[in-house]
Amino acid sequence: MLTLFAPNRFIKDFVANKFSGRIHELVREIEGDHAPDVVLQIGSRPQTADSAAHIAPAATQSAPSGAGGFALEPVERASGPVLSRSASQGSYERRAPTSPANSHRAEPAVAHQPGLSGSFTFDSFVEGKSNQLALAAARQVAENPGSAYNPLFLYGGVGLGKTHLMHAVGNALRAQKPDAKVVYLHSERFVADMVKALQLNAINEFKRYYRSVDALLIDDIQFFAKKDRSQEEFFHTFNALLEGGQQMILTCDRYPKELDGLEERLKSRFGWGLTVAVEPPELETRVAILMNKANQARIELPPDSAFFIAQRIRSNVRELEGALKRVIASAHFTGKPVDIDLIKESLKDLLALQDKQVSLDNIQRTVAEYYKIKVADLMSRRRSRSVARPRQVAMTLAKELTNHSLPEIGDSFGGRDHTTVLHACRKIKELRETSSDIREDYKNLLRSLTT
Amino acid sequence: MSVSSAAPGGHQLALNVHLRDDATLDNFLATESVAPLLPQLRQQLEPCGEPVIFLHGAGGSGKSHLLQASCHLAGEGALYLPLAELLDHPPDAVLADMENLALVCLDDLQAVAGDETWEQALFHFFNRARAAGCRLLLAADAAPRHLAVQLADLRSRLGWGIVYHLPDSDDEHKCRVLAFRAGRRGLQLPPEVARFIVVRAPRALPELLDILALLDRHSLAEQRALTVPFVKRVLDW
Repeated sequence: MLTLFAPNRFIKDFVANKFSGRIHELVREIEGDHAPDVVLQIGSRPQTADSAAHIAPAATQSAPSGAGGFALEPVERASGPVLSRSASQGSYERRAPTSPANSHRAEPAVAHQPGLSGSFTFDSFVEGKSNQLALAAARQVAENPGSAYNPLFLYGGVGLGKTHLMHAVGNALRAQKPDAKVVYLHSERFVADMVKALQLNAINEFKRYYRSVDALLIDDIQFFAKKDRSQEEFFHTFNALLEGGQQMILTCDRYPKELDGLEERLKSRFGWGLTVAVEPPELETRVAILMNKANQARIELPPDSAFFIAQRIRSNVRELEGALKRVIASAHFTGKPVDIDLIKESLKDLLALQDKQVSLDNIQRTVAEYYKIKVADLMSRRRSRSVARPRQVAMTLAKELTNHSLPEIGDSFGGRDHTTVLHACRKIKELRETSSDIREDYKNLLRSLTT
Repeated sequence: MSVSSAAPGGHQLALNVHLRDDATLDNFLATESVAPLLPQLRQQLEPCGEPVIFLHGAGGSGKSHLLQASCHLAGEGALYLPLAELLDHPPDAVLADMENLALVCLDDLQAVAGDETWEQALFHFFNRARAAGCRLLLAADAAPRHLAVQLADLRSRLGWGIVYHLPDSDDEHKCRVLAFRAGRRGLQLPPEVARFIVVRAPRALPELLDILALLDRHSLAEQRALTVPFVKRVLDW
């Protein structure tokens, strides 16, 4: 008999409908009159030594992350938990305890698989203005779980490090107490588990599982919206954990009060602990993140190169990492060191997409960001050196990089005279010859504005 | 898709249904900017491999070729899904338990962008895949940030790993591809014949390659070399 395995029912039916004729034809062609019966099954082939070797690299490895670190075995592949998805069937089932140690227990064992990514630690988290509050709160929680802030509610846009912080707390808790039952999961998984538990009449095991944790970390709870039954169940779990002094950490893409389709009583409970925002990283942090990642990848990334990338990729950390990975791949492939030329070459398409016209507005934003002042400061009447020097640099760049007339440029800097612009250009020209700082600043800014 | 079975005596029999047999990484002629991608595709299933690789480019730029080639390379435990053809099926059913595979290649992501049900299903699948260590190779006609994806969480996950743009082939590159692929068939394709074909044939690379296959068959049957008159006659130009 010839057994063909499909990963799910859909593929099985699809193949049966579309290809069974062709498969039979081929089998007959190859095997002749002794053609075996063909059976389609859901699942995967029982692992032989041969096939195990083939699949192993992907199947046994941990959840990958941008940092390429090692993570603990994910829940799905674990054996033992009473409530678990079987790797081959993907079904939520009651399993007989597998180990003799478990078999004598009166209650079925509830094993907790953390699902934590080992690479997301406090050490690998790059601190910046945009996330320092959230980081401090997370550290507090790691030191005093269940009492410092419960729940800890982290919210902010995608790819800003909420999940990283959450895992970092989980990993810290497990480091302090290796047998701590820390469970990380995505909100959808909670919903799916609940639905399967209901189908299998195993809701009590479900409750016991989620209420017996030391810490429960649920990511992206916005996906609870409009799922009333799940919210109900989660509400009770939430209360039970809070009463028991077990830590909860939740993340969401927005402020809890702004979540539509979420029960008021849940929203208000989310606010019982600490609600803290994670903001997009500012330039300085983006540079630090790149340097950190390059360091992990053991690749030399000169500061001006890091600045060059960070200046252009502004949206989120994931994109920043993705860009760096491509640069590293190019460096490995060509055997060249990382420099701005290599970056321009390897990220040509990405930079073309990101590339904005050099406009007055853009120059002002870039200069303000570089000197860590506000664009409004550039326009203001303030004449302190910390503001006046960047303003002069910006004016000089504007003259250099745009076709605007001097009066237009002066006007765009808070209605200044064109002679002010001229003076600025002369001053910066002079300073570039005498001050290495200004020379360096100007070079960096020029580079980042012109691809 | 790739289905395989254990025949008696441990002999493995692989049936590749739905994949173009000629899609391999070896017969993909990469332009300079895409060259670093090929080793990354080869290594994607290694422990150091990228969890998510996203390719974008216009039709005929080689996305499907690379996805199918990776699928071939991975063999058992890999699946190629052209989403444009699966649009009318329930996404949760299509993607159920896919994370248990080693590699899932999703082609034509733009086809489901903007479809709320599909976007949600893909988002949840991505999370499951990440947790299970299932590698993803994705392709669309635009970069993640330019796809009409409504779900921001999904859009950010699309760009999670590395994103490569496959540039359009210009005529010169098409000639080089034709000559390269002819060489791999053991055929000699003189430059002037390649140019002759490229300027007259349909512009898309897959169709050009179909023409090459046709010429190969005729050249073999008639024992003739590829010349302009021969091409004219066979293609009736």
